[in-house]
Amino acid sequence: MASVYQTSDFRNGLKIELDGTPFLMVYFQFVKPGKGTAFTRTKLKNMITGAVIDRTFRSGETVGIADVEEYTMQFQYDEGDMFYFMNMETYETVGITESVLDGVEKYLIDGLEVQVLLYKERPVAVELPNFIEAEITYCEPGVKGNTAQGATKPATIGGGAIVQVPLFVEQGEIIKIDTRTKAYVNRVRK
Amino acid sequence: MVRSAGLEEHLHPLKAGGGYLHTSPEFALKRVLAMGLPKVFAITPCFRDEELGCHHGQEFTMLEWYRAGAGYREIMEECLDLLETVSAIVGVDVGGAQKITWADAYVQFTGAPAPSDEIEAMRIWVNDIEPKLISPTFVVDYPSSQAAFATVRGNIAERFELYWHGIELANAFTELLDPVELRERWLASGEARKRDGREPHPIDERVVSAVARHPRAGGIALGVDRLVMLLSGTDSIHDVRLPG
Repeated sequence: MASVYQTSDFRNGLKIELDGTPFLMVYFQFVKPGKGTAFTRTKLKNMITGAVIDRTFRSGETVGIADVEEYTMQFQYDEGDMFYFMNMETYETVGITESVLDGVEKYLIDGLEVQVLLYKERPVAVELPNFIEAEITYCEPGVKGNTAQGATKPATIGGGAIVQVPLFVEQGEIIKIDTRTKAYVNRVRK
Repeated sequence: MVRSAGLEEHLHPLKAGGGYLHTSPEFALKRVLAMGLPKVFAITPCFRDEELGCHHGQEFTMLEWYRAGAGYREIMEECLDLLETVSAIVGVDVGGAQKITWADAYVQFTGAPAPSDEIEAMRIWVNDIEPKLISPTFVVDYPSSQAAFATVRGNIAERFELYWHGIELANAFTELLDPVELRERWLASGEARKRDGREPHPIDERVVSAVARHPRAGGIALGVDRLVMLLSGTDSIHDVRLPG
């Protein structure tokens, strides 16, 4: 396999490396000024931070292929600032630091499966499923008969994240959370 | 089918049958102009290699016309007339057309003059200027280094490009009348192509001779697929072409 891509190889979904960072190509467009050389305009998503940048390449320029792989991994346990996961494909145990998890650790529940991005075989980003179910480990008791629309209170879940929940939700209940917005969706049982 | 497919360094022809597929009807129309017809046009498929995208295709449709006695300013009026007439037929309001020089476009849209490095200037053009040319905009007076077939006055090429919705729709010249100058530009582009590892465009002597004989004229090439695309509100020329 070639170690670089030509601009003629560009397509959505291409994983390239720029300045030591892996990027996912999310948009590309061939452009050619009237009497000049051709260019390709691209939008590139930083695979670690998610930030999208614009970059224009001259035809004939080459870019490196990013050495990235994505695996489904299951959360096992944590120790200090290390969190351990099992790679569901290779059954290897992989330790990921809190700094790489970047807040994801607050939503980790035993057995939760997450997507882990490896760059040059090192974990660089962890993505939660869109919805998770977690037990409320602490919240103030609900007020009987209080059905005020939209009123909420903070509730702490297993991993330590604090989620705003409606007043009627009780400690010990399991709730569904949208991890993209960090918002309460509904009670799961009881 | 043509013996030579172009003059410009960055135009890459497709080979066919011992010659090339034409990249535009420019050479043929100039020869007809030199035969004495004062107003000539062609609507034709054209072919360019290495141009692929939602606004490009190896095959596309071009409208090209020439008028004896005209310069690029007269052609600009005809071009705007055509744009307004065609748009009115399909009920699209063109709005007011703008005109700006190539040099002023850099200052207006980037706050700085064009850099002297040509590649860098082009990069800024495609990133920071072209996408902002939303209302119909005639960009006029290009640097002489981008003259192609245009007459040069001082260091300005008598040329315009028409942009609409951030897309180049047409390119026009006050046509070059000097066969010596044409030969020099052809040789220079050939040298540049060789440096780039490409085959030079052969000099077609019939075209050099036509340029020496035809009257002062203005000429324009307009991308028909792109115009139809914009008028039908889609964002790809492949939506308005027969599938290839």
